[in-house]
Amino acid sequence: MKEEEEKKNMKTKPHFWRWAVASVIFRLVLIYFPKNLNLATRPEVSTPVTSLRRLAEGYWLTQSSMSPYAGSMYHGSPLLLSVLGPLTMKKIEGQPYHLLCSLVSVIADFISAMLIRATGLKLRMAYCERLKSLGLGKLFEISEILPSEDIAALVYLWNPLTIVTCVGFNTTPVENLFIILSLYGACIRVAPLAAFGWVVASHLSLYPTILIIPVILLLGNGPDATPRKLFLMYKKDEADNSSKGRVVNGLSEQKNFSWRPVGLFFVWVFIWTLYSLVLCGIFMRNYGGISEMFNRTYGFILTVKDLSPNIGVLWYFFAEVFEFFRDFFLIVFHVNILFMILPLAIRLKHRPCFLAFVYMAICSMLKPYPSVGDSALYLALLALFFNELAEMQFSFFLFCGFVGVSLLSPVMHNLWIWRGTGNANFYFATGMAYACFQIILVVESVSAMLNHDRKIRKLVGTT
Amino acid sequence: METMADAEPAKAKPRPIIRLGLFLISHSFIVSVACCAAGIFALLLLPILAKNTYISENALMPGSASPMLSNDDVSRARMFVNKVVSFDFKTDSSSIGIQDLVAQHITDLGGEVNFHRFLPQVNKFNPLHFFSSPDQGIAQENYTCSSYGINTVGFIRAPRGDGKEAIVLVTPYNSVKTSMGEALSLGIAYSIFSLLTRVTWLAKDIIWLAADSQHGEYAAVAAWLREYHTPSFDGSGRSLFESNASPTTGRKRPNDFLRAGTMAAALVIKVTDGSEKAERDVLNLYAEASNGQMPNLDLINVVNYLAVNGQRLRVKVEKLGSLLDSWWLRSLAELFHKLGTVARSLNPQWNFGISVAEYIEGSATLASSLYNQALGVPTGPHGVFRDYQVDSITMEISAKRVANYKNRPNELLLQGGRLVEGVIRSVNNLLEKFHQSFFLYLLTSPNKFVSVGVYMIPFALLVAPLPMVAASLFTDSTRRISGMGTKVASSPASSDIPAISFRSWRWLHAAKTVFIVHFWGAVVTLLPHFLSLVQDSSPLTNLLSWIILSAFTLLILQAILGSSFSLLHMNRTQGMEWTLLKSVTIAAACTGLCIMSVINFATAELGALMLVPMCLMTRPLMLDAKAKTLKSFIRAACNVVLIFLVFPPVAYYLWKGALVGLENARVGDFWNWVESLWTWNSATYIYMCMVHLPCWVLCVHTLLYPC
Repeated sequence: MKEEEEKKNMKTKPHFWRWAVASVIFRLVLIYFPKNLNLATRPEVSTPVTSLRRLAEGYWLTQSSMSPYAGSMYHGSPLLLSVLGPLTMKKIEGQPYHLLCSLVSVIADFISAMLIRATGLKLRMAYCERLKSLGLGKLFEISEILPSEDIAALVYLWNPLTIVTCVGFNTTPVENLFIILSLYGACIRVAPLAAFGWVVASHLSLYPTILIIPVILLLGNGPDATPRKLFLMYKKDEADNSSKGRVVNGLSEQKNFSWRPVGLFFVWVFIWTLYSLVLCGIFMRNYGGISEMFNRTYGFILTVKDLSPNIGVLWYFFAEVFEFFRDFFLIVFHVNILFMILPLAIRLKHRPCFLAFVYMAICSMLKPYPSVGDSALYLALLALFFNELAEMQFSFFLFCGFVGVSLLSPVMHNLWIWRGTGNANFYFATGMAYACFQIILVVESVSAMLNHDRKIRKLVGTT
Repeated sequence: METMADAEPAKAKPRPIIRLGLFLISHSFIVSVACCAAGIFALLLLPILAKNTYISENALMPGSASPMLSNDDVSRARMFVNKVVSFDFKTDSSSIGIQDLVAQHITDLGGEVNFHRFLPQVNKFNPLHFFSSPDQGIAQENYTCSSYGINTVGFIRAPRGDGKEAIVLVTPYNSVKTSMGEALSLGIAYSIFSLLTRVTWLAKDIIWLAADSQHGEYAAVAAWLREYHTPSFDGSGRSLFESNASPTTGRKRPNDFLRAGTMAAALVIKVTDGSEKAERDVLNLYAEASNGQMPNLDLINVVNYLAVNGQRLRVKVEKLGSLLDSWWLRSLAELFHKLGTVARSLNPQWNFGISVAEYIEGSATLASSLYNQALGVPTGPHGVFRDYQVDSITMEISAKRVANYKNRPNELLLQGGRLVEGVIRSVNNLLEKFHQSFFLYLLTSPNKFVSVGVYMIPFALLVAPLPMVAASLFTDSTRRISGMGTKVASSPASSDIPAISFRSWRWLHAAKTVFIVHFWGAVVTLLPHFLSLVQDSSPLTNLLSWIILSAFTLLILQAILGSSFSLLHMNRTQGMEWTLLKSVTIAAACTGLCIMSVINFATAELGALMLVPMCLMTRPLMLDAKAKTLKSFIRAACNVVLIFLVFPPVAYYLWKGALVGLENARVGDFWNWVESLWTWNSATYIYMCMVHLPCWVLCVHTLLYPC
C-alpha cells in the first residue's frame, strides 16, 4: 500500500506541500459523495468500537437520558461521545448530515501527517547525527539519504487505507492522532504532551497502552540511542584521532538513561488519567458509574463479545470455539500480545520509534476488532525508516499481497453476504491472508532493521 | 513469488521447497509454455469431464406424488385464455385493463390480489454496484413518464404454512398487446393457481406475478422485487407505492402492498411458438443471472427431471450454433473419440470415451454457457431474483401446438401446468433454502455439468505461469541491477563503504507506470457515463469520441504524473527497466485475473485466454530487431499479432465475425455491446476497462520500449 504512494513523494518542499494540500482536497471531495461509496457500513473500515454511526446512536440515547451503552450499540469512550456526539446531530443546511464529523477526520488526518513529519525530521536528524558521530559521514557522500519524514507524511496522507478510513465515518483518525501525538511528544521529550497523548490514546482504544515502553525509552534515551558497544568500539579504534573528544561527548550523553523526563512523564500520566477518569465519572454518574464504562468499553474489547465479521482472525475463531473453552482462549490470545512485548523491547530498545511500529503492527494483527485504519497508521510509521529499510526483502511481494487482499476482501464479503454463493470461510481466508502478510511485513522489516544495524557495526569496526 | 528473494550464492543449500521454487523460476519459460498448453487442453477436455447431474437435496423428492392438475382446472384455464385472447385492447383499455381481468379471476378463485404500479426505470451505470447491496435507495426521479406499468400480483396463503416463505410464479405479458404465447403462459399459471387454492399440502405461500412487460420483462419484475424488499419512500415518508392514486377504474383497488415472506424459488413461465419440425415440445431453460451467477443446480435438476420423466418434453439449454458445424471441433471430437476407444481397448475400466456428436453438442453448450456467464447480462427476468439471493429459472415452453391451439387446447395447458405443479410441489417440501447443490457450475447439457472444482483447473493452469514469470523477471533484473550497482558503488575509489542503495525498492518506478495506466483505466471506465450524459449521437461517433478522449487522457496523465517526479534518482540502468516493468505488469494482470475469477469466473477464463499469452510473450521489439535471428523475428511477429488481436474492439469484431460473419458486423456495434454491458452493471465491463485494457497498454509500452 505504502509503496504505491511513495512514488508520489517529492524531494523538494513545495512538492510536499502541493501533494499534502491535494490529499486534503481529495478527501473533501470524497466526503461530499459518501452515499455512492457507502464506506461506513464496510466491516473493513468501521468496527463496532470505532463506528461513528454507533456513536451517533449512543449520543441519541444520552439525549433521551438513557445510558449510551444501553443495547450494546456504543462501545467507545464517553469523552468522545460528548465531543463528537453533538457534531453528529448538527446539520448544516443543505449539506450531508455527517459533514462535520468527516471534517474532524480530515483535520485529524492532516494534523497526524504533520506530527509524523515533525517526528520524522527529529528521527532523521538523530540518525544523521549518530552516523557522523560514529565517523560514518562518508556514507552520506556516496548514498543519498531521503527525506523520510516527507515520505512518511505523504504515505500517511495518500495511503488508500487512510483515505478510506477518513471518509468511512469512524473515529480511527482521532485515535491515530493521539497515538502519533504521544510518540511526537516523546520524541521532542516533552513529558506532559507525551503523557497526554498516551493517556487519551489508551483511553480511546486500549491497545496503545503497550506504547508506554517505546515512549519511556524515547523520553529516557532520545529518539535514536546508539548502543553503547558501538561507541566503545569506535572509541577504541579512534583512540588517537582528533574526533576523540566528540566521541567521549557522545558517550557521556549516552551513558545514562535520563530518569527525569520519565519521572515527569509518570507524574503527568497520573494527572491526566485522574483527570479523564473524573470527567468520565461525571459523565457516567447517572448511568451506572465508571465501572459500567470499563465494563462496556474495555470489557467489550477484551471479551470479544461482537462476533460480526471483520478483517481480523478472532471473530471466526470465537464463533467456532466451545463456550467452556472461551475464557481459556481469550487469555491465550491476549497473552500473545503481552508475550511479545518484552523480547521485542530488549532487542529493539535502541530504536524506540521502530519498536512502536512493531507493537502497533502486532496489535493490529491480534486485535479483536481491527480495521484498515490500524494498518494505515503502522505503514506510515514504517515509512519513517525508509532509509534504514532500503534493503528490505520481499517489498514487491508484500505490496502485491496488500493490494490483492484489500481488493479481494470486499469481493469475498459480497460473495458471502449478498450473493450467498460463498460462505464465511471465503471471507475469513482473506482475513488470514491479511494477517500473514502483516506477519511477513513485521518479520522482514525487523530483520532489515537489524541487518542495517549490523552493517553499521561492521562499518564502525572496519573504519 | 515467495521465492523471489535472491538466493545468495553464499548460502550453501537452501531448503528443498526454496530450491524447488528456484528451479521453477529458472526454467520459467518451459514451465509456462507447458502450463498454458495444459490449461487450454484442460479447457477442451471439460465436455468429457462433465458429470451427470443428480438431485442432492433429498427433501425435494421430485415426481413422488402424482400430478393433481385435473381437466377441470385446465378447461377453466382455457376459458381464461380465450378471454384474454379475445380481450379488445383498443376499446377497453380506457375503462378496464387486462390487469382487472386477471385480478377478477384471481379473486374468484379465492386468492388475494394486489396491483403494483411502477415507473419503468432506465438502467443506470453504477460502477460500485457489485460491492453494494442490490438497489439501495434508488431515487425515482423520472416522473415525467406518462405510462405506468401495472403488475397484478395474486397470493395464496398456505394452509399449512406460517406465511414466512413463498414460491413465486412469474408470467410476463404485454398488457397493451398480449400475444397468444403470453396468453397461454397466463393460462398455465392460472390453472396452477386454481389447483393450489384447493390443495391441502401447501406449506409455502404462492405468489403469482403477472408482470406487465410493456416496458420490458426485466424492468417489471425488477420494480416489483425492489418494492418487495426495499420499499422506497418519497420525501414525506410515505411509500411511493402507496402515494400513487389508484388507477382510473371505477372499482376500488386494494392499495397496500402485500407480501408473503422470503422467497424459496421463482419460476418464470413463458410459452413461445416452436418450430413445426420438432416431434416433441421443447422446454428451453435459461438460468444465467447478472455477473455469471447461476441458480442452485438442484432447481435445474428438478425441472429437468420432471420435464423429461414426467411430461416427456425435450429439455434444451442454449448452444452456440456456429460451433456445431465447425471443422476443427469435429476433428477434435474425433480425436478424443479415438483416444477413448483406444483407452477402452487397453482397459475396459477406462471409460472416458465420448461420442463425436455428444462432444460437439457438449462443447457448443459449454461455450454458450461460458459466454453468457462472461457477459454478465441476465438472460431473462429470472436474473433479478438472483440479486436478492432467490433461485430462479426461466422455463420457456416452445410448443408446436401454439399455432393450432384452437384444435387441441388442453394438451399444452395440461402438460405445462403439471410440470409447474411438480416443481412447486418439490420446492414446497424444502425445509431450508437451496443450499445442497452447486452454485458455481457450467452446463454442458441439461443433465450434465462441470462443477467449480473441475473448471478451476484450466484457469489455474493458465494463470500459474504469471506469478512465476513475474518472480523470475524480478529476480533477474534485481540481480543484474545489483551487479551493476556494486560496480558503480565501488568505482568511487574513496571508500569501501557500501552505499545505502534502494535496490529492493527499484520496482517502484515500474509500479508507478503500472499505477498510472490502471488509474487511466478507471478514467476510461467512467468516460462513457459522461458521454451518454452529454449527447445523444450515433454509436459510431460515441465510440470514436470515447477512443479519442481515452487516448487524450492517457497523454495528459503521462504528462502530469509520469514525468514530474521520480523517487530514486540513482544510476539508471537503461535497458533493464523493461524487465521490471513487465514483471509488475504481469503481477497486476495476475491479481486482476484472480480477483475476477472470484467475481465472475467465465470472464476471467476468457480473459486469461487472451491476456496470459500476451503478457508472457511481450518483449521490446528493439531487442528483437537487434538480435536479427529467425527466432527473434518470429517472436516479434507473434508479439505484434497478439497485441493486435487482444485489443478489445478487434477481439470483439473477430468474435462477432466468428458468430455471424464479418459482413454483418458494423463498426458501431462495439459501442452498443459496451453500452449493454454497463447498463446491466456487468463486472465484465469493469474488468475490460480496468484490467484488460491497462495490461494491453502496458504490453504495448513494453513492446515499444527503447533499448
